[in-house]
Amino acid sequence: MLRPKPNWLKSMFPWEQKSLQVNGRTMAYIDEGDPQGRPVLLLSGNPTWGFLYRDFIPILTEAGYRAIAPDWIGAGYSDHPREDSALTLAHHIADLVSLLDQLRLCGFVIVGQDWGGPQGIGAALQRVERLAAAVLMNTWLYTDYVGQFHASPIPWTTWHAPIIGQYFQKLVKVLSHRGPTVTSKRGITEIEGLAYHHVFDEPESDSVVLTWPRTIPLREGDRGFADMAAIQRRLPELAGVPILLLWAPEDIVFPIEYARRLKELLPHAEGPIEFNNAAHFLQDDRGPDLARAIVDFLKNKVEVKS
Amino acid sequence: MKFITPSAEELSLLRPDPVLIEQELDCRPEVAEALEKAVGFRAGRAYWRSAHDHLYALELADLGRGRPSQARVFGHWDRFEPRPPEHEIRLDLVDFCLWVAEVSPGVDPQLVDRLARTGLNAVGLSRPPGAVMRTPEERFSNLPDYPYEPRYVEIEGLRMAYVEHGAGDPILMLHGEPTWGFLYRRMIPPLAEVGRAVVPDMIGFGRSDKPVQDNEYSFKSHVRWMRAFIKALDLRRITLICQDWGGPIGLRTLADMPERFSRAVVMNTGIPDGSGFSQAFMAWRRFSQQSSELDVAQLVRGTSRRKLTDAEAAAYGAPFPSRDYQAGALLFPRLVPIRLDHPGAYDDRVAIRTLKTLNLPVLPVFAAGDAITRDAEAVVRSMFKNVSPTVTIQNAGHFIQEDAGEEVAGHIRRWMEAAGG
Repeated sequence: MLRPKPNWLKSMFPWEQKSLQVNGRTMAYIDEGDPQGRPVLLLSGNPTWGFLYRDFIPILTEAGYRAIAPDWIGAGYSDHPREDSALTLAHHIADLVSLLDQLRLCGFVIVGQDWGGPQGIGAALQRVERLAAAVLMNTWLYTDYVGQFHASPIPWTTWHAPIIGQYFQKLVKVLSHRGPTVTSKRGITEIEGLAYHHVFDEPESDSVVLTWPRTIPLREGDRGFADMAAIQRRLPELAGVPILLLWAPEDIVFPIEYARRLKELLPHAEGPIEFNNAAHFLQDDRGPDLARAIVDFLKNKVEVKS
Repeated sequence: MKFITPSAEELSLLRPDPVLIEQELDCRPEVAEALEKAVGFRAGRAYWRSAHDHLYALELADLGRGRPSQARVFGHWDRFEPRPPEHEIRLDLVDFCLWVAEVSPGVDPQLVDRLARTGLNAVGLSRPPGAVMRTPEERFSNLPDYPYEPRYVEIEGLRMAYVEHGAGDPILMLHGEPTWGFLYRRMIPPLAEVGRAVVPDMIGFGRSDKPVQDNEYSFKSHVRWMRAFIKALDLRRITLICQDWGGPIGLRTLADMPERFSRAVVMNTGIPDGSGFSQAFMAWRRFSQQSSELDVAQLVRGTSRRKLTDAEAAAYGAPFPSRDYQAGALLFPRLVPIRLDHPGAYDDRVAIRTLKTLNLPVLPVFAAGDAITRDAEAVVRSMFKNVSPTVTIQNAGHFIQEDAGEEVAGHIRRWMEAAGG
């Protein structure tokens, strides 16, 4: 059973949360549009959920696609387990693979930002014969380039350091109750901020916000390094898959250098198309523009029906 | 319980799931001490493989009391794949609890067993309703040249079907994707003259039950089902005949229980270790994974060199009234481990090491016209010590039993007689 959505959220996010069991836990997802339309998986990252894609859903469904926006285990309306190991890169990938299997998705499209990139592509590589296209936004799929932000102790690595991180993330809630609002370029409203934050209101509900940064591979041996390296090693399998890069160069977390490295690893990818007046959560800053760019790209590359 | 030491390579391919059981042990120190005695340490991990072939670990931690203070039980699943069905995990944990009861003073194993099998039934020790499809028997009326009465064995709550004909030592014939025992109908009569032909349908195929959920089907579950089938019929001195997926499943089973096998005939198949696949196979894999439903009758008809009658083609489609029956057939091409880190590839490499030590006679039979397994012959020849010259069948394709069944059966009979029956 999913917890009910509060009434104040429904005007901004009217879609029904569906759910299924993945790896023994409940995963919530939005599934809108023509059931015969090509499935487009809208994958968010830390610390957001399907709400981040609210501007994408009507544009994609009107263009004939089936928009599916799952919430990662630990985030949004999915279960929020406390176990660190249930929230690692490998686990998130297995969770999404389970959703792909259970919904029997064929010819799907991955749209991923932040952790939605490696987790989405990681799952797609497990079912690569069924992958039709991918769109990557402010994310990464490799271990061999680390930007200044991720390597820097002020504030990033301090925020989630052992023991200290518990205090910053779970008591001060620097990410779960502040992330999307503080970085917003367009000036997010208070109620929109609440839509991101309220899913972490329960005590002990924000473990994922701590596990995600701790899984970012900075050096060999780090948790997540072997899994990210496996994804990078397998990127040549995407050679025949249309890929589009959409980027917010003003994002300090994944600046444009990250897009350049993606482009080296996936030379056939189109873009990066740059979107100004947008930061890390570019879907929130420039949602309709990004969604239209995706529709234009998909219309040229793959059939609307899968 | 037998504890094992998994290799670092195997562990790196698995994803630990530590939430199965977590227990502070200070409430019953005598149980803590019994566990320490049973595993031989008070802090560390003991691994075992369950009846479902899943790898589990018991982790004990000593937090300063001089005995184990905390116990956690991990499951280790294929790294990026969904975990196995819940009923398998529950049954494995019941087995673990029984073991704990057996080693712990003051705990009654019989009571644990009774509680587990009766009380826990309420939460589901078996599959939920609707999780298994069974093809109606009327779909199998009027099968051309396949008059054998179906027989059944129960395996893990699933009904596995087989037919048999003749007497003597068993000749076990294993079909593959997307066929069923019917494929062997032209080989059964000649081979039943020299032995007891035993022809099962894989789970998900033919008259056997067909689980709906994808995660019920894995390479290891097919091997486990085949081992259980052989044990249920208590087959010994087996002549294995296998083609397509019958190869990986049959040869892995052979490696697990070599004492039950006398010889093997390997036709248009091999045992995939995660490397080296033909373009034809990769194309088929891609096609099948993009299909939401397979037209099996048309597939076999289109691939066969011999012209199938309408009734024969229909017999291949008979097991699958709709997509709901096809989970196993749709999955088979994907379950072939095409990468070194793919589920099953590691176990295949272990099995190949075992097969290389065996002395049993092996006859490779390959069709000149099978593009899918073109490169498998050399691999098969390198995998066994005692390999006879390869029989190459001209004018036959992937479904060699369909294209040249009698001819192949003749080769096998002559080879069996030459090798001393």
